[in-house]
Parts: sequence; structure tokens; C-alpha cells
Amino acid sequence: MRVGVVGVGCTKFGVHEKTIQELAFDAVKEALEDANLSKDDIDISVVGTSNTRGYELMPAVPINEYCGFAGKGPIRVEAACATGSAAFYTAYSSIISGMADIAIAIGVEKMTELNTPTSLAVGGRSGSYLWEFHQYGTTFPGYYAMHASAHMKKYGTTPEQLAMVAVKNHRNASKNPKAHFPKEITLEKAVSSRYVAYPLKLFDCCPISDGASAAILASDKKIKELGLEAVYVDGIGFSSDSANLTRREDYAGLKATAESAKMAYRKANIENPVKSLDVACLHDCFTIAEIMAYEDLGFCKKGEGGKFVEEGRSDFGGDLPVNTFGGLKAKGHPLGATGLAMIYEVVKQLREEAGELQVDLENYKALIHNIGGTGHFGWVFILGV
Amino acid sequence: MIIEGRELTFKHNIPVTSFERYWKGLENGKVYGTVCKSCGEKFYPPQPDCSNCYSSDVEWVEITGEGVVECFTEQHSFPAGFEFLNESYIIAVARFGDFKVVGWSRDKIDVGDRVSMETDRDETGVWKVYFRRV
Repeated sequence: MRVGVVGVGCTKFGVHEKTIQELAFDAVKEALEDANLSKDDIDISVVGTSNTRGYELMPAVPINEYCGFAGKGPIRVEAACATGSAAFYTAYSSIISGMADIAIAIGVEKMTELNTPTSLAVGGRSGSYLWEFHQYGTTFPGYYAMHASAHMKKYGTTPEQLAMVAVKNHRNASKNPKAHFPKEITLEKAVSSRYVAYPLKLFDCCPISDGASAAILASDKKIKELGLEAVYVDGIGFSSDSANLTRREDYAGLKATAESAKMAYRKANIENPVKSLDVACLHDCFTIAEIMAYEDLGFCKKGEGGKFVEEGRSDFGGDLPVNTFGGLKAKGHPLGATGLAMIYEVVKQLREEAGELQVDLENYKALIHNIGGTGHFGWVFILGV
Repeated sequence: MIIEGRELTFKHNIPVTSFERYWKGLENGKVYGTVCKSCGEKFYPPQPDCSNCYSSDVEWVEITGEGVVECFTEQHSFPAGFEFLNESYIIAVARFGDFKVVGWSRDKIDVGDRVSMETDRDETGVWKVYFRRV
């Protein structure tokens, strides 16, 4: 059996004066309309939300009720910044197992209901609380900053190369009305911004955003029966790593990325990702994360990620365009919504519906790389038509 | 329109009984890890159970000597709970033989620098490891 994505929806990312269920509703509505299905066609719903910042502490049921899915699930999943991917996998599994013919994965996050110091203290708990945040006041930018310090020392990656990721992704976001920051920035502005967590500066960091996204998945039998248009799931890879930083072998990359990529490539028969893929969504919560991902996904050799962006190889017209809708960096990163917003992006690209941001398609294959924490969760998906 | 939610405060009572020795050690200037007596797996932070072979027979060992900085950051933004800090603070991971340890650094450091360890408590009374460049 094959499983395909038959409908996608995504809200604008940014600061929304809406409840979590209202945001989810907007994404679900777009996905249902996109699939040309009604809510009654859905067999089961999966709600992905980290929701460590919102006022509704157990939001899956209120979201499910608001979207008219009462009685169909919900299964709530959480995998930090990779929550959307865990939701997608759960919906996929419900179909592959034969328990459902059509499933919806909803990813949503309300991050702006708290002030910034509280939000930092929540994100700083994403490792192993007692041994990291409690004693040392780790923050999420701080975790990636530590990886950046190792990468820069080991491979000579420069602050300018980090900033080039931000400049590229902001340029892409400037043509995406759904992005939190749809505006270009200059290299000079990025490099001269203040430090948040050395060596990472303000423009190396993604914003704190609200947003929702949704994907409707169906079995190939149902797709045929209803005459739906589908983008198929060709390969899934998953992995994870230690909670404690002290139990990592190395800080200049993420093992969870390399391991999940290996699994997904094997399942999708991909030997040379740069040649086999047309577009990729990488997890660029911080600029260093995109650079490490080029390497850990095998787009270039270890240590050459800085050059990969500097030479324009991840830009439009390059070897493999990365984060064409602006990435987490400029489009925004509402944790639960991010993985499914990547599904939204590659589905739009593979259907040639990306407008100004459309990439050239040769193989009709795309990659999604979604990380939770600093490699605490790793997901890679290969989609194709 | 925005309305304010009812206040909710979490201040957890954290059970540290099985690794009390670690916290007492910090008060005496000692930093402990654990080693599994059955398979030899080493743990920092220390833990009373072995995640590798599932034995619960572990030995407490003091981590000493000089370490090498593997990664670090200097934090310029302060999360809730750390408002008492009025200047940027350095968090690092350093390798001491088979153990990697997290700590605050009292000196400016870089990846590859050699450091020693000492313990102290911060203004909120939380004991921790501090690195000094050697």
C-alpha cells in the first residue's frame, strides 16, 4: 500500500490574536478545500502541538471539537520542534495499518501568549532540565550556539556564512505572503546584529511565531476511488539522540539527522540526494542548523556546509534549492506547525503551484528534514509524484 | 482584544534522593559521575541505573583533573528564573577523560581550551560546576 497527501493547508505565521482552535481551524479548512473533501470524509485526526506556552494546556480535544472531528481521535503527539512530523507519521501509520482510509494531521502552536523571558525559560528546558536549565540557565538559542561554536572551530565556518543562510531564507520569504517576516535583509545587517547567544546573533535566530498547518493523507485505494490528486510518501526516516548534551559524541553535527536520512534514503532508493531531489525543506531554526543539515544529509562533505551556502548551491538555480518559502528562519517556527508547513511547501512545489517561488522539477522528488530540540528528535521524509 | 488568564505557578518538588550524593558533593567541592559495575558504562550526569545493561549496581567516582572545552556559548539573553544575572554568562561542555561535564565558565574560553573545575552556588543558592581556564 502507498499513502499520499491529498490536501494541505497553512496559515500565515506570525503573531495572531486567535485561539489555538481558531488557528487550527483555518489550516484544516484550507486543507479540506484543497483536497475537495468534507470533514465527514476524515476517519481519524492527529493533533500535533508542543503547547508548552499556550493557555490551553490540553488543547487536542478543544481543537478537535472546533474542527468538527469529535468522535474521530484525536491522537495528540508531541516531539518538540518536530511535532508536526510526528503527527504526519502517526496519520501515515493509521492508514498503513488499515485502521483508517483518510486521516488528517494537524500541527499548531501558540507561542506568543507568554513574554520573551518566560518563552526562553520554556525553550531552555528542552534538554535535560535538572542538569542543564536548572543549574545553568540554558536557552534554545544557547543550545544551537554551542553546536555553532564547535562547527566554527572545527571547520572554520564563518559568521558571514551563517548570515548567508539568513539572507537567502529572508529573500525567499519576501515572496511568501504567509511568512512571519516577508522581507529581505542585507548581509551587513545580519552580521552586525546583536548577540543573542554567542556566536549566534539576532538574525541567526528564527522568530517566536503562532501558526497552524494541516495535511490530509489517504490510502492509494481511496485516492483512486475518489479520483484525488496525490503527492506520495516515498520514504520515512526517524531517529533521536540523548537528552543530555554531555552524552553526545560530537557537537559539530546532529547524529539524529544523519541516521534518519540514512533510513529515508534507503527506503526511497536515493543514493545521491543532490541529484535525485528537486527541492528540500531543512530545519533552520538557527542558521547553523541549516549548515549542519547540508552536511548531515549528505548534500556536501562534512565541514563544507558553509561553502555550500556561500556558493549559492542551496539557492534558486543552485544544485538543490533549500527552504524556498523562507524556512523556519524567516517564515517562522510555530513548533507543532513547522513539520506540516514543510509538507505544505513540498506539496505546493511538486504540484507546481508555488508561483514566484516555484523550483524547476526534473525528478519530482522532495525532501523534508525536521528536527526536535537539538537533534533530540529527527525526521526525514521523501515525497514524490 | 486580549484578556489576562488566571495566574498559575509551577514550583516543582524534585526528587533527588537516588543521586543525593551528587548534590552533597557539589557542596564539598567534588563532582561525581557514576560507572556501571556490570558493563563499565560511564554516566555524567550520574544516574543510579545503567541505561546500557539495565544493572542498578553503579560506582560513584569523582571527576578530577583538567578538561578540554568541546563547545560553549555566551548567553546575552536571560530566561525567567535567571533575572539575578546582570551580565552575560558562559555555558560550556568540557571533556574530563571519559566524562563530559556542563558548567559555567568564570573565564573567557574557546573550544579546545584547557579548564579546571570548581563548585559554588549562585545567588539563588543552586550549586553548580564552574570552569576556570588553565
